[in-house]
Amino acid sequence: MLEPIMYVGGAYKHNHLVELVEDLGGYILQKNMMQTEVVLLMLVPINDITIVEAKAKELLGKLTRAPLTGSEIATVAPTLAYHHLPHLDCDVAEFLRKQGAKTNMIGLARGVGKRICQLTAYERDLINEHDVAVFILGNYEHCIIEKSKKLYEGIEIPIVVTGAPELRTEDVPNATAYVGNFGRILHHMRHSEELRTLDKLSEVIGNVLDDVRKEIAKDPPSVAPPRIKKEIEEQVQEIIDSLHPLPITLQLNGARVKLPYEEFHEMLENIKFVEGVTMKEVAQVLPSKMRDFILIKPRPKSETGFVI
Amino acid sequence: MEQLETFIVESPDAVGAKTTRSLIMDTIADLSLSRVIGRLRVFVDPVEPVFIFAALLRLGTPSIKLKDFAKVDMGSLGKDEIKIEIEKEAYTIKLLNKLWARYGKENIEQPDKKVLIVKTDPIKELDAMRDLVIEEPQQEVLDRLIDAIALRIIPEGFRVRKHELSMSHVLFVASEDTLKPEWLAKAKDMLESLRREENA
Repeated sequence: MLEPIMYVGGAYKHNHLVELVEDLGGYILQKNMMQTEVVLLMLVPINDITIVEAKAKELLGKLTRAPLTGSEIATVAPTLAYHHLPHLDCDVAEFLRKQGAKTNMIGLARGVGKRICQLTAYERDLINEHDVAVFILGNYEHCIIEKSKKLYEGIEIPIVVTGAPELRTEDVPNATAYVGNFGRILHHMRHSEELRTLDKLSEVIGNVLDDVRKEIAKDPPSVAPPRIKKEIEEQVQEIIDSLHPLPITLQLNGARVKLPYEEFHEMLENIKFVEGVTMKEVAQVLPSKMRDFILIKPRPKSETGFVI
Repeated sequence: MEQLETFIVESPDAVGAKTTRSLIMDTIADLSLSRVIGRLRVFVDPVEPVFIFAALLRLGTPSIKLKDFAKVDMGSLGKDEIKIEIEKEAYTIKLLNKLWARYGKENIEQPDKKVLIVKTDPIKELDAMRDLVIEEPQQEVLDRLIDAIALRIIPEGFRVRKHELSMSHVLFVASEDTLKPEWLAKAKDMLESLRREENA
């Protein structure tokens, strides 16, 4: 199993750490250079963490576990109106992004009201393409509970709900987790207690993602999503030229490739691995609901009988 | 006069009332309305569901017309023109924009800093021009107020709304369902209580 880890340290000799992680069979997912500082988001084999820790200590850098790394999270607001934007929603999305997740903001067409709220089929399918959905709801206990009874219909991924009252998760129907102290906030969240609330949210999402990881580990994918990313980057020239943010977005159990499906799906299906298999043998290449992108879903070990 | 002499948010849901209070404060600050609203009472019941917003307003100066800050007269004899002599330069830019929009740039000359010549029929236009509204501070404030209440404060799902707006008060009743007469009566009561406080 791979552990999601964030390294923060000086730029000097950081490539030693990069090479070490790659030699151990881990993956570097993101590298942000900020003048003399570097932030690396990486996946490290769980058994070799002590080696990486020793190297980080030698380079005077800091290693922290970043459970949100390599996940794609949907932050869902009832609409894209002043009521929710730009504050609360963007604050949540940005905070999760800083923790290593890729967040997509989704504003529903008819998500308002406790009696009249609806989720369209397209929205439902789009949200289901993510690892976790964070529903950002409002101030009133009654509304949150009533709305939760129907709004999440058909969503198969874990649902994290935020709102103002302190509720127990069991009280919110259909929710995997509930985080209080949010509500409809119309200012930038920067006071210490608000930042603590955001920390709590990322901790809760981290736990939810860890549960998903454990579930996936029971029947592991034939090919790990970071491996898919690495092979595409090495074999498909067009992805290098793509201007999309994160042209290959990792998910816990898949990857979103930001290339047109019609043009590229055959090329991706025929990507060869050194183990002698092609992509279509170990993964499904599907059209994504997001624009005309491609979604790659690895087949589980129980289907193919091997893991590369 | 103090700002926001009364500011009450009532609700059976205490936590909700607290957050609603903070969101109203934020909106009022964002749209710089704190000097405009004198007294404010809000009632929210999410179970019913109903949202009532009642406020007494203190609007600033009334609208400013051209004759308030300039002398408007016929131009030179025998020519179709109006001469405007500006006394307060603060409004010149807004005035010019209004005149350009109405008469066209080519018909307006400015021979001196404080003199404008408009080429048009003086007999027809003179009176209209004297009453030309240059700035409407009250209207601008009301626009902002409506933006704050209807587009930011009232919960989005509450699509059924009834409102009353005058120069002295604003009253909004909103709900997800058909409005009940007792809610409207309650709203009137809230406004009355604000009025009583104001006059006491």
